[in-house]
Amino acid sequence: MLKKRMIFTLLFDNGEYALSRNFRLQKVGNLEWLKKNYVFSRISFSIDELVILNVTRGEKNEDLFRSHVRTLSEECFIPIAAGGGILNIDQAKKLLRSGADKVVINTPLYSSPELVYSLSEEFGSQCIVASVDVKNMDGDYSIWIENGSRKIEIEVKEYLLNLANMPIGEIYFNSIDRDGTGQGYLMKMLDILPDDISVPVIMAGGAGKYHHLSEGLKNDQVDAVATAHLFNFVGDGLIKARDGLIEEGYDLAKWANKCDNFKGKD
Amino acid sequence: MANVVIIDYGMGNIWSVKSAINYVGSKVDISDNPEVISKASHLILPGVGSFRKAMHNIRHLGIEDAIKSAVIKRGGRILGICLGMQLLGSQSTEDGMAQGLGLVPNKVERFNNNTKNPTLKVPHVGFNTVKFSENKGLFSNLPRNSDFYFVHSYRMLSEHVTGLIGECSYIENFLAAFEVSNVMGTQFHPEKSQTNGLQIIKNFLTA
Repeated sequence: MLKKRMIFTLLFDNGEYALSRNFRLQKVGNLEWLKKNYVFSRISFSIDELVILNVTRGEKNEDLFRSHVRTLSEECFIPIAAGGGILNIDQAKKLLRSGADKVVINTPLYSSPELVYSLSEEFGSQCIVASVDVKNMDGDYSIWIENGSRKIEIEVKEYLLNLANMPIGEIYFNSIDRDGTGQGYLMKMLDILPDDISVPVIMAGGAGKYHHLSEGLKNDQVDAVATAHLFNFVGDGLIKARDGLIEEGYDLAKWANKCDNFKGKD
Repeated sequence: MANVVIIDYGMGNIWSVKSAINYVGSKVDISDNPEVISKASHLILPGVGSFRKAMHNIRHLGIEDAIKSAVIKRGGRILGICLGMQLLGSQSTEDGMAQGLGLVPNKVERFNNNTKNPTLKVPHVGFNTVKFSENKGLFSNLPRNSDFYFVHSYRMLSEHVTGLIGECSYIENFLAAFEVSNVMGTQFHPEKSQTNGLQIIKNFLTA
């Protein structure tokens, strides 16, 4: 049986790492901060997968982003998905050569679906993470692209049915309303996913406590839970959360947490 | 003195593998040079992509003989990872029949689509549990059941494996890892499997 997953998402904002609340960004530190004060190496040994999103508004410095992906991948021994602003095959290829194992696609799912097909042909569908940003207004759902700034013009149902037929590996299903609030995932938005969606679903947006992660994993429709909050699970928060979830019987992968035992002398 | 070389034939995540080897404290070269490869004490054959294309590249670069010379003549250790493990076998049905390096006699075929349980999709992607036949050699210092990260649509058939094995259950019980004297393979990615994978890499390098 495949294991369920706990994912950490890093939001890259023009060379720094950011907190996001309802998609409004607040920079909190650079790569050095992430590695030293935030002790990212400990975080990375308590998750199953790392997502790194270039959420820089306006012009994105892609070389800088890729160099960060490369550096992070050097001490991170799990699959890495990276994305944000990928509009062509070449950009995806470069990211995959910089340490990413998968690419995250959002806006092109709507504006240039043919890219998804060519990416799948080149790298396989398992390489594509389809990111879907959802807003909820009193039970009325809408899907937003371009960093949550533009509402798509087709029916949500139709959009998601189209997505179900695209060659994608998984869905990163994010609530804009819950993003960064720590109020928990918007579990009821799973209801808008059509039955035809057969790929794994990653729940994102709103996790603030242990209980939110377990609530997500408990749901049969959810294969993975993500958090992008740099402070809610700070210190050994994620390690403790993982241990707790495993103890409660959630089917996550197990390994020895003591990464220090493996670090070579050089 | 160990002379560790990652074989670079233009396919695969060589940088992730290099990072993992460096992390456990070993130096490693990345090379497509037959001379360097033939003198290695520890070879790593990574790989992501198509079997046929990989063998084409390996032959085109003239490194097939160098690999065999290092492993068969000089007794060097080789670890094939994912597609790299499959390439150690005799042949694969991917894109029509293609011959492998033949360091082990096993064949490689695609997973059969599961009719009983359609939720078991191909490719098999994610962390899954591997059961080791014994906790020694490549599988030392690991629990008998350990979790590793997989991404693959093809798998090596397990008939005639004479050494240590690791089996994983997905659609069927399939060969997830083996150690037959100095020839070793993991269908999973040790460089993407946290400390479990680092342990495998350490085990490979310390013997």
